[in-house]
Amino acid sequence: MDTPRCNEVASKAGALRCVSRSRALLALLAVLLAPAAARPASEPVRTDHLDSRLVAQATAAVPGQTLALGLLLEHDPHWHTYWRNPGDSGLPTQLELELPEGVVAGPIEWPHPERFELADIVNFGYGGRRLLPVTVTVPADYAASSLPIRASASWLICEVECIPGEAGYAFELPVAASAQVEPRWADDFAAARAALPQPATDSLAIAEGSDAIALALSGLDGGATPVHWRWFPETPEVFANGALPQWQRTPDGWQARWRKSEYFTRLPAEVALVAVDGARTAWRFPARLDASLVPVAGTEQPDIATGDTSALGLLPALLLALLGGLVLNLMPCVFPVLSMKAMSALEAADDRGELRRHGLWYTAGVVATFLLLAGALLALRAGGEQLGWGFQLQEPRFVAVVALLLFAMALSFSGVWALGGRFVGAGQRLTEGRGARAAFFTGALAVVVASPCTAPFMGTALGWALVQPTAAALTVFAALGLGLAAPMLLLGFAPALARALPRPGPWMEGFRQLLAFPLYLTVVWLLWVYGEQTSALGMAWLLVALTALAFALWLLGRRPAMRSPGFRRVATAAAAAALAIAIALPMSASAPPPATAGAAAAGEDGTEPWSEQRLAELRATGRPVLVNMTAAWCITCLANERIALATDTVRQALAARNVAYLKGDWTRSDPAITGYLARYGRTGVPLYVLYPPDGGAPRVLPQLLTASGVADAVLALPPAPPQETAP
Amino acid sequence: MKVRLSTATLTLAAVLAGCGGVDLEAIASTAPARVGEAAPAFTLVDSTGRTHSLADFAGKTVVLEWTNHDCPFVKKHYGADNMQGQQRAATGDEVVWLTVNSSAPGQQGHVDGARAEQIRTEARAAQTAYLLDPAGATGRAYGAVTTPHMYVIDPTGVLRYAGAIDSIPSANPGDIATATQYVPQALAELAAGQAVSVPVTRPYGCAVKYAN
Repeated sequence: MDTPRCNEVASKAGALRCVSRSRALLALLAVLLAPAAARPASEPVRTDHLDSRLVAQATAAVPGQTLALGLLLEHDPHWHTYWRNPGDSGLPTQLELELPEGVVAGPIEWPHPERFELADIVNFGYGGRRLLPVTVTVPADYAASSLPIRASASWLICEVECIPGEAGYAFELPVAASAQVEPRWADDFAAARAALPQPATDSLAIAEGSDAIALALSGLDGGATPVHWRWFPETPEVFANGALPQWQRTPDGWQARWRKSEYFTRLPAEVALVAVDGARTAWRFPARLDASLVPVAGTEQPDIATGDTSALGLLPALLLALLGGLVLNLMPCVFPVLSMKAMSALEAADDRGELRRHGLWYTAGVVATFLLLAGALLALRAGGEQLGWGFQLQEPRFVAVVALLLFAMALSFSGVWALGGRFVGAGQRLTEGRGARAAFFTGALAVVVASPCTAPFMGTALGWALVQPTAAALTVFAALGLGLAAPMLLLGFAPALARALPRPGPWMEGFRQLLAFPLYLTVVWLLWVYGEQTSALGMAWLLVALTALAFALWLLGRRPAMRSPGFRRVATAAAAAALAIAIALPMSASAPPPATAGAAAAGEDGTEPWSEQRLAELRATGRPVLVNMTAAWCITCLANERIALATDTVRQALAARNVAYLKGDWTRSDPAITGYLARYGRTGVPLYVLYPPDGGAPRVLPQLLTASGVADAVLALPPAPPQETAP
Repeated sequence: MKVRLSTATLTLAAVLAGCGGVDLEAIASTAPARVGEAAPAFTLVDSTGRTHSLADFAGKTVVLEWTNHDCPFVKKHYGADNMQGQQRAATGDEVVWLTVNSSAPGQQGHVDGARAEQIRTEARAAQTAYLLDPAGATGRAYGAVTTPHMYVIDPTGVLRYAGAIDSIPSANPGDIATATQYVPQALAELAAGQAVSVPVTRPYGCAVKYAN
């Protein structure tokens, strides 16, 4: 950028610049005529919305040492000037020093900026009182008795409107053998130094993708969470100012993608980022080009369906979450719990106060559980775990406990055991009956069983939430909970709805027994998930546990009818033992990774297990690839497979274009798959990505597949180069 | 029977999941115009009340200039007759020059037709039309962030240049003489059947005053 010059052009601003230069000369004259007292600062200059002056940190210049100067800017409230990379609009402040021969000034040492957003325009700069430091080197042989300092500065100052400004400064520092710190600016210099980015020792590698820059950060200590840092692109025209990097944990550190600047042409030789960490320390990361950065191919903006999640604001995200929660009520996942809730609503149909109390407690249970799960997820991710939403279902023991709980509920609905017995397990009292606690824990259960539906449904919004600061993320999850609980809440507060409920009566016994069956089916599904996660043997042990549970509950149900106290004692002991078995068995079940079994099964229908390496190999040979990320507990995934992927239409299309089919199984936690999902802005499955031959940009298929849709997408691929392995 | 039932519920779930995706697409689909791709279509009313669409100018080269007469950077180029000079040269060569104002009502630079006409006359401007975009839809579609912010669209409707008016980002009119003026350069290259040598630059100026 050019430096301001007092030129001969007879233009308004040129004249203005000359005027300010002569003003500077006047100021210098005033300094020279003033008593010889030390004046480690220029007179302040008032321009539009800004007071500025040039100040020195010390009272004297010492030959052979450096001297800290600073341009002290006092902005009017709400006005700001700009950082070295001003962002979408604006101009960086410039300072030109005129110093005696041999005295050398360095560049402005830029403290980290703040982000200023105006509509969709994002800028980086400074407001309030800020000092921009400059270091001046005074040579050892500097012989004069004083050091005259003259400077001119120019800037753009903006609130909503922008006004260019400039000023000249002059003062003279005495030269001495030693100097004292000038106390008037000590705080300003200290604040500027504190905000100065330190050179980071950690390594930042970058590579160019088609729409985004891939970043890899390594060497950070374990607790560092760049997700929550504030990132500023120091180098302009590389990163989109309005976007933010989306960080994901990897085995060697962190990786992110950052949308490219609209003005990106090519990666400059030197690229640097500035980050402000959680302790408000700023770091400067010089980036090193690393073409081998693996995820580059995948970091490309896949398509608008996944979008740039950082563009999603908090308000739209909240609204989406609320709506999403509402629609979640229609998902099969939640049906069993809703039937429980419907039962208690029916029983309380003629008592509005109770309905209302139930609704509130149920809502509290739903929201609290969402917050608890989301909090745990965020904490685990901050600790470096590669997890996505629905993570709790990746834990077989968790699946087993939910299966046991739902089975107990179903047995109760079937009338195998009665409610309210004194020795009844805690689980039953938690979710049955009419109490506040029951309503609360029914809400909790709803969230747990709904979570596999939540993952695909809320994909992008949850993806957005999980990279936000904790408070924003939790707010989104709370909104999701409110949406889920809304119908039950409404029941208590809308008398017309409550009146519409059928009257309680003997028919309810039959209805309750009927409602047991969705619960049994849910148990079957959970058993299968558990089997996928462990083994057929593991599933058999869980079946034994369910049987033990059924036995214990049956025995407890029989107990009141036993006449002999001895029998009753034996029955209690036997029931307790069976319950212990029911809980202990699935807890102690060994859970071998299903990788080998999965691979064998996958091979039969022409699919291969997904791995980052296999994907790269296939793409290197120029073959098109379809990646299917799925999980046993993901209902949408299973629907898609049955309706679309496993059809002859799709099989023929895949064969016609010689498409390799890679399937990633996320039923159990898998950091590699979590990282892959994250590159597409997802925190959960399903995800379908179609890679064209010859390394073209991948295309993300919708989360709802149709056979013809997939076949069309596949057949739209250019024909692959001939392959020896082609069928 | 059981299988068929569960297929039905699975389909329902999938349909509902699909609905969620649609909303998100709508929110995320605001990718700005890109050089080398078709320029976004628009229809706007000009300062005299006439309606213009980009499609009306098919077959002609079109220049878009984002403006805000209160912005010092716009003043720099109008005050020094640089902008009007470029407009005269371009329109003299059968190029369509559209000045677009995306300042929202209540924001700096927002004008009605009458005020826009007055600004045109006072500046002795020579654009084809001064278009009013108070809702900002066209500005956002092009990704216009500053005033001035310049775009050149070729006769086939493909965006060929997007960015700054010239190569020296400053508010000083004295810099105009030594700066590369990107729009005349791009127009000359297009007229000569060449590729635009500098197709994308970072614009400088005031932020466009979109509605918040």
